[in-house]
Amino acid sequence: MTMQTTAPILRLQEASLSLNGNTGVVDILHQIDLEVTAGETLGLIGPSGSGKSSLLMVMGGLEQASGGTITALGQDLTAMNEDALARFRRDHMGVVFQSFHLIPTMTALENVATPLELAGHADAFERAQAELEAVGLGARAGHFPAQLSGGEQQRVALARAVAPRPDILLADEPTGNLDEANGRAIMDLLFDLRDRHGATLIMVTHAPELAARCDRVVHLRDGRLDLAATQKAAE
Amino acid sequence: MKPLSLAWRFARRELRGGLRGFRIFLACLALGVAVIAAIGTVRASIENGLSSQGAVILGGDAEMEFTYRFADDDTRAWMARRATAVSEIAEFRSMAVVGEDRALTQVKAVDDLYPLIGTVELEPSMPLEQALAGAGGVPGAVMQLALSARLGLQHGDIFQLGTQDFRLMADIVLEPDAAASGFTIGPRTLVATQALQSSGLLSPGTLFETKYRMDLPESTELEVISQQAQDQFGDMGMRWSDARNGAPGITRFVERLGSFLILVGLSGLAVGGVGVSAAVRAYLATKTSTIAILRTLGADRSTIFLTYFLQIGALALLGIAIGLVIGGLGPVLLGPLIAAQLPFPADFSLSLPALAEAAIYGGLTAFIFTLWPLARAERIRAAALFRDAFAGRNSLPAPRYLLATALALALLVGSAAWFSGSAELTLWSAAGLAGALAVLLLAAVVLGAVARRSTRLVRGRPALRWALSAIGTARDGATPVVLSLGLGLTVLAAIGQIDGNMRRAIGDNLPDRAPSYFFVDIQRDQMPAFSERITEDPAVSKMESAPMLRGVVTKINGLPAKEVAGDHWVVRGDRGISYAGKQPEGTDVVAGQWWAEDYSGPPQISFAAEEAEELGLELGDTMTLNILGREMTATITSLRAVDFSSAGMGFVLVLNEAALAAAPHSFIATVYSDEQAEAQILRDLGRDMPNVTAIRVRDAIERVSEVLRQIASATAYGAAATLLTGFLVLLGTAAAGEPARRYEAALLKTLGASRGRILGSFALRSVILGAGAGLVALGAGTAGAWAVNTYVFEISYQVIWPNALAIIAGGVLATLLAGLVFAWQPLASRPAGQLRSRE
Repeated sequence: MTMQTTAPILRLQEASLSLNGNTGVVDILHQIDLEVTAGETLGLIGPSGSGKSSLLMVMGGLEQASGGTITALGQDLTAMNEDALARFRRDHMGVVFQSFHLIPTMTALENVATPLELAGHADAFERAQAELEAVGLGARAGHFPAQLSGGEQQRVALARAVAPRPDILLADEPTGNLDEANGRAIMDLLFDLRDRHGATLIMVTHAPELAARCDRVVHLRDGRLDLAATQKAAE
Repeated sequence: MKPLSLAWRFARRELRGGLRGFRIFLACLALGVAVIAAIGTVRASIENGLSSQGAVILGGDAEMEFTYRFADDDTRAWMARRATAVSEIAEFRSMAVVGEDRALTQVKAVDDLYPLIGTVELEPSMPLEQALAGAGGVPGAVMQLALSARLGLQHGDIFQLGTQDFRLMADIVLEPDAAASGFTIGPRTLVATQALQSSGLLSPGTLFETKYRMDLPESTELEVISQQAQDQFGDMGMRWSDARNGAPGITRFVERLGSFLILVGLSGLAVGGVGVSAAVRAYLATKTSTIAILRTLGADRSTIFLTYFLQIGALALLGIAIGLVIGGLGPVLLGPLIAAQLPFPADFSLSLPALAEAAIYGGLTAFIFTLWPLARAERIRAAALFRDAFAGRNSLPAPRYLLATALALALLVGSAAWFSGSAELTLWSAAGLAGALAVLLLAAVVLGAVARRSTRLVRGRPALRWALSAIGTARDGATPVVLSLGLGLTVLAAIGQIDGNMRRAIGDNLPDRAPSYFFVDIQRDQMPAFSERITEDPAVSKMESAPMLRGVVTKINGLPAKEVAGDHWVVRGDRGISYAGKQPEGTDVVAGQWWAEDYSGPPQISFAAEEAEELGLELGDTMTLNILGREMTATITSLRAVDFSSAGMGFVLVLNEAALAAAPHSFIATVYSDEQAEAQILRDLGRDMPNVTAIRVRDAIERVSEVLRQIASATAYGAAATLLTGFLVLLGTAAAGEPARRYEAALLKTLGASRGRILGSFALRSVILGAGAGLVALGAGTAGAWAVNTYVFEISYQVIWPNALAIIAGGVLATLLAGLVFAWQPLASRPAGQLRSRE
């Protein structure tokens, strides 16, 4: 495990998130300050409802922060509109979800090809096929998500996330919906892909063994960075 | 990769999911388009038939028609120079008499050349010439079976027309030029003109029309010869027709009725649009996560919009294509059946303009009703993957989409106006449709609010309370039901109320005010005896009589009448004209002054006040009339209030006596008598004045109301299609609501409700919603009917209750049916599975 020393690829300054709920405005994140260095693997851990997933979504521009600034690759995500954020993700980010979120009407190959097509790659399908081969699903390229097991679906999701060679890979409890064996296989694959492509990996997880594989772990509690826990984990 | 081709690739992938969820979408669009395409195809087929068979319908390549007179020598010479053959026909109404029995008939007196084109088919089969020659020294006649049966005549029996005996030789099976005669009262009798010489029926002053059918050389240009005829004889009361449009009256009627029915069909398409919109919304709701994933992967708004726009567009094209196939091929396949019902020829074939019209309407409607849900879909954010982040669900779409909707709407109304040829009718229809939708929407909101508030009043009646609660919600509530069923029921309610009130006015009220009989062709020297016989009869309460001539208004203030008055009915064709010395009793002069009884100066006119206002005529204006081929210019010196609604005597034009008394003419009389005395009066007059024709007012009115009834039923079919579309929309709504009902039923079962009680609640919900939709539709339809009856037909209005109750029952039945079809599954499913799937 090596700590990176280059400039931050992602920086959060006093980032906050409040959402309108049924009972009024709910504050999810409170003035988070965080820097992630290029090539680093960062684990986000904390109890349920602590705001881990929300923080990941804010980092990916999937959720618009209510306050503060989020800078990724030198660009201010909080100043971007929805379309600009979509284009930024297309060009620089890959996201893996706990629930896989494959498009049910598309085959595995088409799912993986979609971000490449959106980016305008003429060889989208060839590259997608190669990515599927890399995750061991070359033979299942023509299958629809409903025809794949949970583990296979998550491998397709991984292939889709890394196919455009993102600078930043966001993973939201990627093994949460998988059994132990599948979960381990997916994590091996995730770290392997990260190592091969050199992306910065930010991962939400509950599993201590996964957190242990990260370069750095950040603890969250009630929407705030738990600095004490973070410090303790670092020691 | 270009955004459009990328979006199309995504759309194609999505479409592989099949048509599940789009059945109602396709059905609504296909049905709406099919109805319009079918109406257009039938209209085009009839127009084609009338056009291609123009010469057959007309009975020649061209025709010159005169009122009250035969063509003069100049006219005959003109025709002889241009035609290879000219056939002369005289038409008039008369009484066919057998002993003491009399029946009105429309007589057509023909020469040896008739018919120039086509053949008269008779039963028993024989040449017309042979039939009209008669037998045993008595000239022959042929008549429609309805008339011979009415008079109890067998072939070979003798009957009279005027003073002339005729022998019935055969029944008419087919009269090739029947459609050219237009609207007639009384069945047809065909005789030879020659045989009428001594009947007294074609003497000067009697009411008859002559038609000269011409067989023209092939090189003749109809446009040119028509213009020549108009230039030379137009001012002499001649009316020209030619093979380009053999039956202009029917063509105009078919064209207008077709346009009107297409507008009714458009209301069906609008209802279908509500279903289309709901289907797209429901579909996009299932696509929220897919859209959010695409957003996560970097798809921008335009890619999302285009992806789903292309999908829905492709499905809309499919729906339109299905509609065009059904609506286009249906009438063609059923052509022989439809043609058998029509009294004129029709060429059933696919009509590209009709299909194009239906496709344009379908495309624009689909665009208008799907654009907003599609525009909202692009607002779905990536965050929708993990929480409800669809902020734009209830807000207006972006201004560019509002503008596009407005443009499409304008294009739709503009196309309808262009295709129907009547901007006024289209705009009124569009305004009516928009108004009805607004009223229905408002009523639905009120119904929902009332239901919500009523739940407190029905505590202790759980089934009713659940039903009212459901009606009060936005999803299962009143709006979809009232919108989908309301329009069809409103149109049906309006038609039922208008038709019912018309019938009431004609059937019940009119006979109280209208005369029993019109007598026409009473010669001047017969008038004293006629008056004596009628007025001395104690059963007769009233008699009115007036001299009558017919003439054409050719000029107004020296300008051609058509230029001044356009297509106003007063200047269209020939009109009845009367004269009087002293002001007749009951005449209501509202402006100017009646002339002195012995006035003999330049001709003066007393004109109908309402028509004068419509034509912009004032006292002092002049009119040129062509009466019996002679022109006469007269000045309007008074205006009269004339009431045409009582079917009594009413002349738009009355001239001073000296102006017309010398012209050959006959008298017309109206007689108001007890029904029991009518037969004796007819017998006496038939014996003493055989040339006088009696027209039973009730028969004439029934003939008119028969036509109105046919228009009403054609409109009702259009409205029924709207209702069927509404029912489909309702089925779609019920299907979309089924998962919610399944969950609701599972919860209620968990809480101890029996299936019977849950079913009762579902049924109550449907009944209340259906009755609500029916009541709202009845209110809107009744208001429309009241306005039409009061202001257009100017008859009193009262609610026709059987129709009103049928509308409400129809609403209840439709919602009950749609609701119960989708109630079985929720009732049958076990609660555990439902509740687990929600976790």
